[in-house]
Amino acid sequence: MNNLVLTIALPLLGAFLLPVVMRLSQALGLWLGPIILGYGCWLLGNLWFSDISLPLSVAIGGFDAPYGINLYLDSLALLFAFAVQLLGLICWPYGLNQDTARRQALMLLLVAASTGLALSGDLFNLYVFYELAAVATFGLVVASSTSAAYAATFRYLILSGIGSVLTLLGIALIYSQTGTLNLAHLAQLAPELLNNRLGLTAYLLILIGIGVKAELFPVNAWVPEIYATASSRLSGFLAGLLSKLALLIILRLLVLIFDQPEAVQIVLILGILGVISGEFAAWRAKDMRRMLGFSSIGQLGIIFIALSLPDERGLLALLALSLHHLVIKTGLFMLADGWGGSLERLTGAAKRSPVGAALFTLFALSLVGVPPLPGFWAKFTLITELAAQSEPLYLIGLLVFLLATVIETSYLFRIVVKLYSSAETTSEQPEHQQLPGLSLATASLFGIALLTATVLIAPIGDGLQAVAAEAKNTELYIQTVIPATPGGQL
Amino acid sequence: MRKLTGLLFAGGLGFMLLAIASGLDFGSPPMRIGEAIQSASPQEVGAANIVTSVVLGYRGIDTLGELAILFAAASAAGLVLGRRHTTTGTQRKGGFVLFHGGALIFPFLLTIGFYIIFHGHLTPGGGFQGGVILAAAFFLPLLARPGARLHHSILSVIEAFAGASFILIGLAALGEGQAFLQPMLNQDTLGALISAGTLPLLYIAVGLKVGAELASLLSNLAQTESEQ
Repeated sequence: MNNLVLTIALPLLGAFLLPVVMRLSQALGLWLGPIILGYGCWLLGNLWFSDISLPLSVAIGGFDAPYGINLYLDSLALLFAFAVQLLGLICWPYGLNQDTARRQALMLLLVAASTGLALSGDLFNLYVFYELAAVATFGLVVASSTSAAYAATFRYLILSGIGSVLTLLGIALIYSQTGTLNLAHLAQLAPELLNNRLGLTAYLLILIGIGVKAELFPVNAWVPEIYATASSRLSGFLAGLLSKLALLIILRLLVLIFDQPEAVQIVLILGILGVISGEFAAWRAKDMRRMLGFSSIGQLGIIFIALSLPDERGLLALLALSLHHLVIKTGLFMLADGWGGSLERLTGAAKRSPVGAALFTLFALSLVGVPPLPGFWAKFTLITELAAQSEPLYLIGLLVFLLATVIETSYLFRIVVKLYSSAETTSEQPEHQQLPGLSLATASLFGIALLTATVLIAPIGDGLQAVAAEAKNTELYIQTVIPATPGGQL
Repeated sequence: MRKLTGLLFAGGLGFMLLAIASGLDFGSPPMRIGEAIQSASPQEVGAANIVTSVVLGYRGIDTLGELAILFAAASAAGLVLGRRHTTTGTQRKGGFVLFHGGALIFPFLLTIGFYIIFHGHLTPGGGFQGGVILAAAFFLPLLARPGARLHHSILSVIEAFAGASFILIGLAALGEGQAFLQPMLNQDTLGALISAGTLPLLYIAVGLKVGAELASLLSNLAQTESEQ
């Protein structure tokens, strides 16, 4: 089971060697990254179907859990780790130019860091991978080398730096109270040591810090500019996956360590504010990519609302919404590859690329939640769960969520109408409205995945239910990482 | 409006930090993990410098992550700076004292840098600190003679193989059926130069990688500056 670490170590190894390999033989260099990611997919895919009993904990360096660093693998972590490697392969920067070696090395670093975020069971180790993901992202966004990209990256750099400092401060506070950084060990100690004001402060600091990547309400100013300037493949990876990984960290903290009503309430309030601000800004946006960025903020807000729900069904809604958003948003960003820029230019684009327009309509329908598409099921789970709560704040969440759906419908179908309207006036820049073949193929892949999920919705729902139950089980987590010794205490 | 928000945020954060600090009791840190590591690490890892046994042993993958962060930052800087096309600077030379002083101090810096790297498992210091001194040694001639160049291709080869060897040492343990980055080889006598198994090798890899990375980054910056 020690092989699990290869999914982090091999991309790092590839990234270190890539600049030299690329100079020796370009063909070999170009194949190196995809081969490593393909191997990672194979390794994790095998784990899914093998009969190894999950969850399990892998000690790195041979030091047992609370002393050394461990990787924790349950179905949830496996699902996300697999998604990281697969999406890394799909969003790989295939294009060739003078910076290919550097860009591909940074992408490998981003994948390694994201896998680490999904698997690591140590608070400080998570922080290291979080930093690595941030720095690799700066480089990848700057690689598009327009002055807008420089400005956007600079803003992102500042905000992300503030987030990192706050997170580190929170971790330091936790360490000063407990003297440990291992999540399982913290989960054991939390009810006694962190169930107070200081613990709540530490949680808030980490929430805001990690929230920068999760597009949480007050710290998401970087989102529209970065998504408008970065390459569509990168935006797809960031919006689709990295935001969910940050969310996964917050989920683990909430389940394992900060099981307090106030901690959940903060998430709910920030989520509601995120939905309102994101959806209204998306409605007003005049540019395809900015619209997708703002809409992503709104969607993440909805997912944060789901995160604040107390029981397993809430976690199920969270998982369903996250995976759904992952598929849809990445697919939409692929379409934005050719359709980026002003929305006005899209008039009549359906004639030139009917497949692209059909895919856009499909994604829009599922995002809004039209049955029988998976989006309906995900949203329905959330609605029933919200309606079952007695606290008034959840009711506000429900109302905001319904309002958001209306706004979403409005701005998405405004574009659909535009796509299918007959073009009389605009034919100045037809070449810009053409979708690149590779992006269209990738988007079709996501469309097919969506349709498959529609057919298989019942088994997928059962599977997710099991994943949610496992992730919610704090006792299981502790037992897996630190098996109880006869002596009893550490 | 924006300034006011910033002021409010900074003020609030400052107030919160003060409130936290007043509630902390200094001087009695909980040592749940720390104490166990302090007492066990000389036998388990065999490094006289316990900090090193934590950095490379107990939290080895954190160190690997830090190396990767440095690499990512250097690559990103290279993407930004590498675009400008560089010409040989026409600035005046650094003068007699700087020029000959730099030449004189170069071997000493190299010696100190490598000493600190090689003794990382015995005394305070190690790969990161020694690597920075190595980078300074190679950067000094650039300050004295602004037109001079470093061999970027050689530096990038050193950087790549130093980074790769850190991971390969970890993978070697994996190949032996142990955990990734598990310390291997004989521990030997505690406090001897050749002791603590693979830890000194890891630190040499760290030192070379940090040194090569910083040297090429600094020379990149110097060349971009000399153009303006």
